[in-house]
This record gives sequence, structure tokens and C-alpha cells, in this order.
Amino acid sequence: MDWKPDWGLRGRMVLTMFLLFALYLVFVGALIQTDSFFFLPVMGLFVLAQFFFSDKLALYSMGAKEVSENEYPELHAMVSRLSQQADLPKPTVAVADSGVPNAFAAGRSQKNSTVCVTTELLRTLDRDELEGVLAHELAHVKNRDVMVMTIASFLSTVAFMIVRMGFWFGGGRNRQGGGGFLVAIVASLVVWIVSYFLIRALSRYREFAADRGGALITGRPSALASALMKIDGRMDNVPKKDLREQSEMNAFFIVPLKSDAIGRLFSTHPATEKRVDRLRELERELESQ
Amino acid sequence: MGLFDTIRTVLGTTAEADATRDADPEDLFGMSTAYVTMEADLGFRSVDAAALCFSGVDSTDFSDVVDDVEAILRAGEEETGTAFELHEDSHGWEWVILRDDDPEDLVTSVHFAADEFIERGYGSRLLAAVFGFERAGGGRGTGGSDDRTDGDADRAYWIYSFRRGAYYPFAPKPGKARNQQLEFKLESVLDGELGLEDDESYWYPMWSDRDGGHPWE
Repeated sequence: MDWKPDWGLRGRMVLTMFLLFALYLVFVGALIQTDSFFFLPVMGLFVLAQFFFSDKLALYSMGAKEVSENEYPELHAMVSRLSQQADLPKPTVAVADSGVPNAFAAGRSQKNSTVCVTTELLRTLDRDELEGVLAHELAHVKNRDVMVMTIASFLSTVAFMIVRMGFWFGGGRNRQGGGGFLVAIVASLVVWIVSYFLIRALSRYREFAADRGGALITGRPSALASALMKIDGRMDNVPKKDLREQSEMNAFFIVPLKSDAIGRLFSTHPATEKRVDRLRELERELESQ
Repeated sequence: MGLFDTIRTVLGTTAEADATRDADPEDLFGMSTAYVTMEADLGFRSVDAAALCFSGVDSTDFSDVVDDVEAILRAGEEETGTAFELHEDSHGWEWVILRDDDPEDLVTSVHFAADEFIERGYGSRLLAAVFGFERAGGGRGTGGSDDRTDGDADRAYWIYSFRRGAYYPFAPKPGKARNQQLEFKLESVLDGELGLEDDESYWYPMWSDRDGGHPWE
């Protein structure tokens, strides 16, 4: 197996994380300066609880349920063997009844994970393509993306909460010492806006990384590429009802639901053409010995 | 999580690294003596077949390697009488199936085939070596008589994971169920003789395409 690591991608990932880290340092400094540091432990508990139940929440919001080996023997066999290749304990397998051809992985660790596909995905893809999509999801689990994104967005969430509270309490409630809190709100607003874009960028890089990981698990980059193109093409025909119900799950999906006028900066996923191009490169690397 | 693990997590390269990690064939030969123990202590005889399971790669080079493995096994067939066939199951995984009534030859042939993959740089595509055993109608007074299907032979497999360099037992029952009692027994008896996988979450089931068949069928 000959393939080259993608140093460009790794470099971008490190740079993004470094910028986030620097931003958060400044933010924590501002919180300490303004005596608003007490927010952190309180919010920490919230986010920790969310992290622990993230898989349950994701499955619940999709209306997905766990399926047994007898109900979906093919799917189970596929997940089981891909896990073997990826060196991962077999995750729980779930299916969601939905008209959107999509898949996601959830769970807080490699030992506690769930892979979910929609009924429409099973109808849309052939065996190789489905394998490619499942491997992409397993790569997310393997790369601990839920944990990485939770940590990366923790202080961004805190900043967002402080901004919201500022709107509720109207900033200048009491004239003495209220000024400090106002500074904290402004600082939080800036931190929240900047971190939002950095986190979106990081999320897109993690998608590329999962594409690579998935392609190397199956040994067939072309399978995932063709699945992405197929799903992307089918997304235009998704019923409006499903769009409304599931758009908040976008960050989890293999291909996000289309919505109008979403700029590149705002998206959690890279453009499908770009992902397909990268997979093509990988395919060439595997072929050229 | 060690330092390297942390770096890989940050870079998002864990999946890449582990999916392409080379095979670990170290403990494969432990199977030779395990065949003896299985029969002497547990009454399990060899089913006279073993198999090597691998997942393909979409490249011409890889097909060449599979051709060469075939050539090696054909040469071996003349030498030891070990019959072989290549087979793709319904899930798209590929098998080298070996048949011989001498377990020693089975282990050697599996090793030969696995070595060729590893030498040619495709060790990471080797998933497992599967060695099959059966005993007639529930064996001899092992106390596990309540959960066996009458008149049917007990089937058990030792599966060697090249990804983890360890063995684990697999005892399928009809209807996608596992005979956990038997798996536990095999684990206790062979512990020390084989390098065992101690984390049971890695004991992947390898179901057959047809009910009651071997994993490679």
C-alpha cells in the first residue's frame, strides 16, 4: 500500500487549532480580568453532560433506532469487517427512517460509538459505495472527532452563553462594577464570532481527514467518491419536511443538507467536488507503484 | 492516551495510521500445538480446513500480489497436498481457503500466504486467519449440554487477528448467536498456549453466508 501523508491538510489543522487556542487564552484572560471566570466550571458541567449523551441525542433527534444482526445482517457484516480493518471495536449499528440519503457517527469514544445510516442511503447506494460511506464514519470515530470538536468548541459555547445573558440582563444593570461585565460581553461577542469561523474550518479539515481514513480502510477511494457524488445529486430531491427536521444535524452528516446562500466560510463540510478531487489523488497514489 | 496518540488525534490521522498498520504474524505458529490441545483436552477435531481472510485494494499491483500468492500455494499443493481455492464472499471480502487433513500443513500454508502479502507491502490488508474445529454432539460431559442443538456438531473456530496479533475464539450457533459458554471454555483452556486477545470488544464475529456454514463459505 503506497500512499503519501497529506502534510498540507495536517499543517492547516494545526494552524487552525493554534489560532483557536490563542484566541481562547485571550478570552480566559478577559474573563479573569472581569471577574466572570465562574462561568467556566458551570458551563463545563453542561458541556460534559452533553458530551456524554451526544450519541443518544443525535440518534433521538434523527428518530434512529438500534438494529440487530438478524434485522440487517448485510449491514452488520459490513460494519464488523470494516471495524476489523480499522482496528476498532464494532460500534452499535442504527438505522433512521428518513428520505434523506445520509449517515453519521456519534459517540464519545472508540469503545462507545454508534454508526447510523438512513433507509434512503441504503436504497440509494450500491455495496461498494455504502462501504465507502461506513468507512468514512468509522474514520470519524477512529479520529475521535466528537471529542476533538467538543473540546475545540467549548469556550466558543461559553462565549455564546455570556453574549446571550448580556442581552437578557441588558448589560448595565448596576452602575458599580457593571462596566466589567460589559467588557466581558463585548470580549465574548468577538471571541464567539472569530471562533465560529475557526471551528467551521476545523470541521471541514476533519472531514477531509475522515475521507482519507475511510478510503484507506476500504482500499477503494473511488467507492467513497462515487457515493459522495450520488448523495450530492440526490440531495436536491429531498422532501422539504426532512430538510426542516434535520438541518440541525448537518455537522454530523456525511454530506450536509443544502440550504440557500450558505457561504463557504459557514459550512461544516468541504464542497463535494473538492472531496472527490482529493480522493482521486489518493486513488492515483494507490495505483502508481 | 500516550503522546503519539494525542498527536495523531490532533492531526486527525489515527484512522489512516491504524488502517495501514502492518500485519503482526508473530503468534501464528502457536496454532500447531493448539490443534493437539483442542483434541486431547476438549474433544474438538480439526475440520480439515483453514482460511485466510483479506480485504482487497483497488490497484493492479495488488492483483499481481494475489496472483503470486496463488502461484506459491500451487507449488505448495504439489509438496504437501494442501488443496486451496480463492473465494470472494457476499460482503466483498476475499478468502484463501485451504484444505488438508494434516493441521501442521494448514498452519504452514496460511503462514506462506500471509508472508507473501506482508513482504509485498500489503500486510495491512490481512484481516484474519480462521482455523475450524468441531466435535460430535456436544462433547464429553462438559456440563454445557443444555445449550447445544441436539444431533448437531459443536462448531468452534480460533481466529487469528493480524491487525492485533492475537487469537480469539468464535463459536457460532444457528441464527447468528454465539455460544459464549464454549468461547469462555476455549479461552480458559488455551490461555498461555496461544497469545489471546484479552479485550472482548475485539472478538469480531465472522458469520458464514449460509446458516451452519464455515465463515469462509
